[in-house]
Amino acid sequence: MGAYVIGEPGRAFGSVVPAPDPAHWHRPDTVIDGYAVHYGGRTAHVRAASVRGLSHRHYGKVRQDEYLVRTTDDGRYVIAAVADGVSAGALSHRAACWAVRQGGDHLCDILSTMDAPSIPWEKLFEVIAADIADFGADLLGDRGLTAREVAERMATTASFAVLDLATGGLYGASVGDTSIWLLRGGWFPLQPVKNDGADIHTSAVRALPLPATPVLARADVQPGDVLVVLSDGVGDPLGDGAGEVGAALAELWRTPPPELEFAAQVGFARKTYDDDRTAVAVWV
Amino acid sequence: MRGKLLPFYLVIDVSYSMSGAKLDAAARIMPAVVDALAKAPILSDKVRFGVLDFSDDAQVRLPLCDVLDENVVLPQLSVRGGTSYMAAFRLLRTEIEANVKQLKADGYAVHRPAVFFLSDGAPTDRENDWVSAFTDLTAFDKETGRGFPMFPNVVPCGVEGADPAILQRLIHPARGGKPMRMFLADAGEDAAKAITMMAEILISSILASGQSLAAGDSGILLPPEEELPGGVKSYGADDDFV
Repeated sequence: MGAYVIGEPGRAFGSVVPAPDPAHWHRPDTVIDGYAVHYGGRTAHVRAASVRGLSHRHYGKVRQDEYLVRTTDDGRYVIAAVADGVSAGALSHRAACWAVRQGGDHLCDILSTMDAPSIPWEKLFEVIAADIADFGADLLGDRGLTAREVAERMATTASFAVLDLATGGLYGASVGDTSIWLLRGGWFPLQPVKNDGADIHTSAVRALPLPATPVLARADVQPGDVLVVLSDGVGDPLGDGAGEVGAALAELWRTPPPELEFAAQVGFARKTYDDDRTAVAVWV
Repeated sequence: MRGKLLPFYLVIDVSYSMSGAKLDAAARIMPAVVDALAKAPILSDKVRFGVLDFSDDAQVRLPLCDVLDENVVLPQLSVRGGTSYMAAFRLLRTEIEANVKQLKADGYAVHRPAVFFLSDGAPTDRENDWVSAFTDLTAFDKETGRGFPMFPNVVPCGVEGADPAILQRLIHPARGGKPMRMFLADAGEDAAKAITMMAEILISSILASGQSLAAGDSGILLPPEEELPGGVKSYGADDDFV
C-alpha cells in the first residue's frame, strides 16, 4: 500500500521518524474500523480512521484525536462522533475519548425516547461538559477542581452526527473545529468553515468542558451520499472543500475503500499539515 | 488550503553605532536560522523568514521566504546612518500586509507574524513619529475592525546603547492571554556576543513556536527565563528594571 500525496508532500513527510510517547504506551498510533450496518432495507457502510499526525510522531506525543461510531440498540440511528483533544492539555486525549463515549451513550438514551429532530443539543453538550469535568477531577485526583481548571489539563472539541436510516435525516452539532460534512460528488459543509476569509489564521478553539454553544448541522441524505465527520487535521487542508484536497478525497471516497486504504488516505501527505487526522465516513 | 505558515521577521538596526563586530554578529543570525531550520523539517515546511534593516530609512533585505529554497541568497548588511524607528515600523507594516495578502491569495493560511526587533540605540526620530508608526503597525480593535488586523507580535531585543524604557513600549501585545516580552543584554555585556545570544533566542522561539503550532496552538512561544543564555534577561511590559 503506497502513501497518498495531495499536492506537495513537504520535507517533513519524507524525513520524520515516528517516536512513541513514553507517557502513553497503551494508546495506538492509528485506529481503524470498517463495517456495514443495516436497518429496514437500507445498508450503511462505515469507514473510520484516526491517525497520529506527523508532528506528534516527530515529537513523540500521543494521538489526541478520537472517534466513535455506533448504532442505537434498535439499529435505526448511526451515531458518528469525532473529538480532538486540545494540544495544550497533557491529558486532552482522555477528554476526547470520554467525550465521544459519553456523548454516544447519551444520544442512545435520548433516541430511545424521542426522534432525532428533538435532540436537545445544547443540553447534551452541557451534560458532556459536566461528564468531562467530573472525569477530569477524578483523573487529576482533586474533586474540588472547577471545569476551567480541568480544561487547562484536558479539553476537547467534539462533533456528533446522527443519521436516521429510516428517513435519511441527518442531525448533528459541534463544539470547536471538528466538523460535519456531506459528500455528494463534491463537499458540502454543514457548518460554517473555520477561518473562512480571516486575515490571520488562528488555532484557538472552543473546547469542552468549558461552556460553549454547539453549532448545529442538518441535512437529508440521499442514496450515494456520504456523511463525513472530520477533525481539523483533515478539515484544515480540506478548507471549504473546493480545492485539490477536496477533489482528491471526493474521488477516493466515491465508494467505500478497503479500511486500511481508508486510513492511509486519511493520513495523506501534504506540506505543513502535520496534525492528527481523523475521519468517520458513512456511505448510504 | 495549500498550507499553514508561520512568518518571522527579523528587523535589524544598521545605524553607524552597529558597525564592526556587532554588524558581523547580526549578519550571522541569518545563516544560523537557515542551519536550525535545515535540521527541523517539521518547522522548515511552515516557517517563512524575512529580514528588514533600518537606519535613516528602512529596507527589505531578505523578502519573506522559505530560507531552504535553493534560490534564496542571504543579504550582506552594511551601516548607513541614524536610527529611525518610524521608518522600520512603516516598512514593516507595508511588508506584512503585502506578504500576508500574497500568501493568502496563493492559498495559504497564515498565522500571526512575529517580529524580532534588534536595536543598539534610541530612536533618532521624533517621539510622535515613531509612536504613531508603531500604533499603525500594532493597533487593532477586534470589535470595530479598526486598525491593522495582521498586526504582528513584537519582541524587542536590545543591546548596548538601546533604551530599555523605549524598547519596553514596543512589546506587543503587552498584556492579555499571550503577552510578548523583550530581551535585554546585561549592562556591560559585549554587544556582539549579546547579539549572538539574541540569535539563539530567536531560533529557540522559532523552534518552540513551530512545535506549538504543529500541536495546534497558535503563534509564537518565547523561551522561559531559566533557558536564556547568560548575559541576557527578559522583561514583560509591566516589569521594572534597573
